[in-house]
Amino acid sequence: MRILVVEDDALVADAIVRGLTRAGFTVDHAADAEAARTALDGEHFDLAVVDVGLPVMDGLTLLQGLRRRGQPIPVLILTARDTLADKIRAFDQGADDFLMKPFEQAELAARCRALIRRSNLAPSGLVQLGSLRIDLNGCQVRIDERPVELTRREWLLLESLALNIGRIVSKERLMQALSGWEQDLTSNALETHISRLRGKLGDAVRIRAVRGLGYRLDETGTSPA
Amino acid sequence: MRTIRRRLLLMLLPTLALLMMIGGVIDYRVAVVTTRDAYDRALAGTAKALAAYLRTDGDEVQFNRAGAGAALQDDTLYAVWTPEAGVIAGVTLLADALRQPSTPQGSSHTVYRDAQLAGKSWRVAELTSLTGVGPVHIAVAESQAHRAHTQQVMLLGKLLVDFAELDLTLLLVWAAVYYGMRPLDRLNAQVEAQTTRLKPFNEAQVPGELRLLVANFNRVLELLQSAAESQQRFVADAAHQMRTPVAGLLAQLELLEKEPAAAPVAEQLQALQRGIAQLARAANQLLALARAEPVAAMHESFRAVPLKPLVEQLVERCLDRADRTGIDLGAEAGSATVRGDPGLLQDLLENLLDNALKYTPGGGHVTVRCGHSDAGAFLEVEDDGPGIPEAERSRVRERFYRMPGATGIGCGLGLAIVDEIARVHGAAFSIGAGEAGRGARMRVRFSERRAPASAARL
Repeated sequence: MRILVVEDDALVADAIVRGLTRAGFTVDHAADAEAARTALDGEHFDLAVVDVGLPVMDGLTLLQGLRRRGQPIPVLILTARDTLADKIRAFDQGADDFLMKPFEQAELAARCRALIRRSNLAPSGLVQLGSLRIDLNGCQVRIDERPVELTRREWLLLESLALNIGRIVSKERLMQALSGWEQDLTSNALETHISRLRGKLGDAVRIRAVRGLGYRLDETGTSPA
Repeated sequence: MRTIRRRLLLMLLPTLALLMMIGGVIDYRVAVVTTRDAYDRALAGTAKALAAYLRTDGDEVQFNRAGAGAALQDDTLYAVWTPEAGVIAGVTLLADALRQPSTPQGSSHTVYRDAQLAGKSWRVAELTSLTGVGPVHIAVAESQAHRAHTQQVMLLGKLLVDFAELDLTLLLVWAAVYYGMRPLDRLNAQVEAQTTRLKPFNEAQVPGELRLLVANFNRVLELLQSAAESQQRFVADAAHQMRTPVAGLLAQLELLEKEPAAAPVAEQLQALQRGIAQLARAANQLLALARAEPVAAMHESFRAVPLKPLVEQLVERCLDRADRTGIDLGAEAGSATVRGDPGLLQDLLENLLDNALKYTPGGGHVTVRCGHSDAGAFLEVEDDGPGIPEAERSRVRERFYRMPGATGIGCGLGLAIVDEIARVHGAAFSIGAGEAGRGARMRVRFSERRAPASAARL
């Protein structure tokens, strides 16, 4: 998977390029917006990591230009500014994620992976998490090519979680996903379904309960734990 | 308190009251003189009427008593006499009383005087009529009691009218002063509502006397506004300038630590990383503090901020960090909205949570809450860590203060930032013990009443 890193600070750029390369990505580097545009127009990238504070043309303007020309490439905005207005502006311009400097290499790599996975989801409908493979279109789950039998409710839960991999899905949303099947689903019943799903998936993935908020599907081994 | 209203009333009311009292006294004097003259003229008229009943027959003066009796009123005495023949008609006693200081000879003038007769006071009009046989004196006396009664009635009436006039005038003055100062009250209310905003006041809508004051005040506001803006800009620039190299250093170190060649110096590298992380934290916190400074925070950034997404996003962001130290991080987010600066509120919650995650040992619990209680909206972070002893609870809010025995990274700014941001939002920041007296519970309670108001209109 190929990532374009657009960052003018040599020290940061070098670290990101080497860190992401080590995490298994193919990484190219552009030092300014102009070079980035040339690269993105000419070649295929799965993701762009763009710094806001670029010389001449800033990262958000570059992003705006990309979206205006219909480039669907996922973009992770990297910034040293932390005002909320910047964050809102970034998402308004079409950013897919936002990370503050300083950051940890592991988190950057995890976010890049999640972004690419989510953007690939739409065309292929396939999610590969280590040994686990979820086929969203075919409604099938396999661990090491071995099919896993899920009930309809368990599948709906896994589908909701897989579509938002790495992000918390609230209990309310999960319950809504099931509500067509069970009118008065209790919070306890939801926990029972989750716990059965965990049992069937084993160590391939982790369904992490977040107290008071919901559940998050984590890839075991890639979580920075 | 010395107010303009009070001063105006203190100057106007006693002066007016005194003036009106003097006016009353003068009115009274004038009334007394006027009544006396009127009564005197009437008395003189009676004397003149009596003169018409005088007849001279040879050298004898005659007086028609029967006719004169009809011309007289009650309580009136009369006497007619000549120096030669003595009393011709009327009350001898009256003539006797008047005869001693005899009136000037040859004068036909009417003379008025007061006299005591039979133990009563009388007013007397004396007329000297020149007849063919010489001067004849005619005196008419009227009881003083009569005119005293009239004067009393007049005085009473006058005093009543004056008193009513005084009351009404004072009331009008008070009302005029009170309502005349209303624009000041409105301006005051507007200034009070502006404690966290720097919006200029509308000069066109204040009275002329206040226009210069308001114009000057607006100029000061403008200065503050530009100071706030330049501080905001500085903070944003400084953040960028500091974070980028620190991010580079940390990222490079992280890579270096994983190099097999770095194994012998792994400990030093970790120390280096901790140091740089601490530098990054200190820079972040100093910037957060600068952002929360009242002057910097007094810009037009206050808006309705829903707390639930703020809590959910922050908890989600800190989940991995909590996992690393084995802390169970959770949220209990109820819906609540406050007026505030979203960036500052994020700083506030971040510092509260950071503090809890830093001091809670592995296996502990940290819960972030928000919601709406009877007293208003609140943000809260509770942990079951070591807690903060009661004696330290006010000191930990001070900048750069660290509790005795505090370990780990930190520069003692986190709770100072929370305190500052709470203050800017008119919220109360309290530090208490957690559930069952264990750990710490830090709560920021937003008061609806003290929440920065939207711009007031004049």
